[in-house]
Amino acid sequence: VFSLFKSITAGRVITAESIGPVMEKMKEHLITKNVAIEIADKLCSSVTGKLDGKTIGTFSGIQSVVKSSVEEALVQILSPKVRIDVLQDALKAKEAGRPFVVTFCGVNGVGKSTNLAKICFWLLENGLRVLIAACDTFRSGAVEQLKTHTCRLSSLHPPEREGGPPRVLLFERGYGKDAASICMEAVNFARQQRYDVVLVDTAGRMQDNEPLMVSLAKLIRVNSPDLVLFVGEALVGNEAVDQLVKFNRALIDFADSSDQNPRSIDGIVLTKFDTIDDKVGAAISMTYTTGQPIVFVGTGQTYQDLRTLNVQAVVAALLK
Amino acid sequence: MVLADLGRKITTALRSLSNATVINEEVVQAMLKEICTALLEADVNVKLVGRLRQNVRDAIDFEEMAAGLNKRKIIQSSVFNELCRLIDPGVPAWTATKGKQNVIMFVGLQGSGKTTTCTKLAYHYQHKGWKTCLICADTFRAGAFDQLKQNATKARIPFYGSYTEMDPVVIAMEGVEKFKADNFEIIIVDTSGRHKQEESLFEEMLQVSQAINPDNIIYVMDATIGQACESQARAFKAKVDVASVIVTKLDGHAKGGGALSAVAATESPITFIGTGEHIDDLEPFKTKPFISKLLGMGDIQGLVDK
Ligand SMILES: Nc1nc2c(ncn2[C@@H]2O[C@H](COP(=O)(O)OP(=O)(O)OP(=O)(O)O)[C@@H](O)[C@H]2O)c(=O)[nH]1
Ligand SMILES: Nc1nc2c(ncn2[C@@H]2O[C@H](COP(=O)(O)OP(=O)(O)OP(=O)(O)O)[C@@H](O)[C@H]2O)c(=O)[nH]1
Ligand SMILES: [Mg+2]
Ligand SMILES: [Mg+2]
Repeated sequence: VFSLFKSITAGRVITAESIGPVMEKMKEHLITKNVAIEIADKLCSSVTGKLDGKTIGTFSGIQSVVKSSVEEALVQILSPKVRIDVLQDALKAKEAGRPFVVTFCGVNGVGKSTNLAKICFWLLENGLRVLIAACDTFRSGAVEQLKTHTCRLSSLHPPEREGGPPRVLLFERGYGKDAASICMEAVNFARQQRYDVVLVDTAGRMQDNEPLMVSLAKLIRVNSPDLVLFVGEALVGNEAVDQLVKFNRALIDFADSSDQNPRSIDGIVLTKFDTIDDKVGAAISMTYTTGQPIVFVGTGQTYQDLRTLNVQAVVAALLK
Repeated sequence: MVLADLGRKITTALRSLSNATVINEEVVQAMLKEICTALLEADVNVKLVGRLRQNVRDAIDFEEMAAGLNKRKIIQSSVFNELCRLIDPGVPAWTATKGKQNVIMFVGLQGSGKTTTCTKLAYHYQHKGWKTCLICADTFRAGAFDQLKQNATKARIPFYGSYTEMDPVVIAMEGVEKFKADNFEIIIVDTSGRHKQEESLFEEMLQVSQAINPDNIIYVMDATIGQACESQARAFKAKVDVASVIVTKLDGHAKGGGALSAVAATESPITFIGTGEHIDDLEPFKTKPFISKLLGMGDIQGLVDK
């Protein structure tokens, strides 16, 4: 990208015009890396704005100035403004004698249930007791999918002693029932049975499907979980922005009108990171849009394939 | 309408040509920029967009275009031709043969909508009077067999699968054999989701394909996919003989432009589109009528290939 602009060199004041072609190339480069076009646009304009009027030293070329400014902007977008420490927060809730409730939501097929199971595995490894709430009562096989995972996870973490309480359990009421009330029952059950964490699986839904968005907002409103995680796949292109904006807005718009401080998405689970090579742009599109942190990254289909975001590596891949 | 938003933007860009008083380099550049942005926003592959831009530019020579020639028509038809090249692989869509045992195998990335679309397609054929069945050769995904079983049961479609056999090749083979013996006309085989980065998964797909020798391999893709689409689709095509594309989840907000990249990469036409989670949310897709509808102008159609 930058080699094309070797000819433009140092020792002068940068103007929006003078870096125009470099920024245009940069924008196109980011789009090839699967950054949503709207976000690539905004990002490049803001970098242009920042550089406009700056003097560059004799020894630094324009391309390296642009590159480091873009790099800086990318790091900033990806660096969480709020830190979410699931384990610590869950332990705090445990001390307070109540279960820590996490809801997973997102569009169809992105990996909500699978990554819920991975997170469950991680919590079990860390000594917590987990209840999985099967609140996808719509998609065929959704309950059996969680049943299978619970079975496997349970055999990896058998109860301490024969007849001891299970470390992980599935709370399900079959299909066709109201998800919000199943969630409530599950949380009550967890409280009675002293489960530390409740992981709530929900059905996939399109962000424009109003009835389904209303029902998700209801589930969250009546149960006020500790954490609402939006699950999005790294494969997603320009839709990333629209999905997040609309999930967020639905939670706010369909909240109780008396609620001064309605819930929104707390964090992002970025899945299928193993399927995109260096086209890691969705990470930027998602975080730029909401400012919410990527809490977990899914990197495969086994329980071990769960990571946190490596900001430096993502930025390096974007600029490569 | 599907991909309609994209179509509208392209039509608007083309119309800017008709509205301009003089047609010069500048006007054409502006129009191309508009079209390319619309394509990129719809997740069409960057390389394909670049190629379209270049080809249109190459087709227009302002020096040579004599005053008498209708520049507008030449430019519009060159844009139109390029769009056609994007969406039309130039091969006819596979069709099932009545009275024969047609084996259809589904492949695609994880979560793209294979299992759901399998039942939709089976239902589609069953509705038209074909003797139809389903086979679940996904032994990997938790609850995969239950999913297909529940879907098939609801739609009263015979199905085959196993809770104990772990080898998808064995299940696929047994199922196809059984249903062939029972004279089924449409035999649909669902497989696990996979991606090019995991070679063993691709190898498994090849083995299933070799074992059942399908008449049609359908690549199922999600309309929301971005720039990774092209390389994944290309890799699937390189491993097995993909012959059709089905684009799912077009009931959402997605413009589905990634599908155009998949068409180019697999050299296969889009045959159906998925527009919802229910069993009848499947629409047949025909390339040619779509293009003319996309651009909403019958008069332009006459310009193609002239
Ligand atoms: N390669 C890869 N596949 C993944 C990852 N996470 C999930 N998957 C796969 O994606 C597919 C869909 O996952 P699910 O967990 O069922 O997705 P979901 O969002 O719950 O789907 P719905 O409930 O139907 O909306 C499955 O085949 C998973 O194995 C990941 O990080 N990498
Ligand atoms: N809105 C909408 N959802 C769809 C459509 N097609 C499939 N889905 C949903 O997408 C999700 C994933 O679909 P599946 O059929 O399980 O996908 P798959 O490709 O079989 O997934 P794996 O077997 O895990 O690779 C489910 O929630 C489906 O209901 C569609 O056209 N529209
Ligand atoms: Mg699920
Ligand atoms: Mg499936």
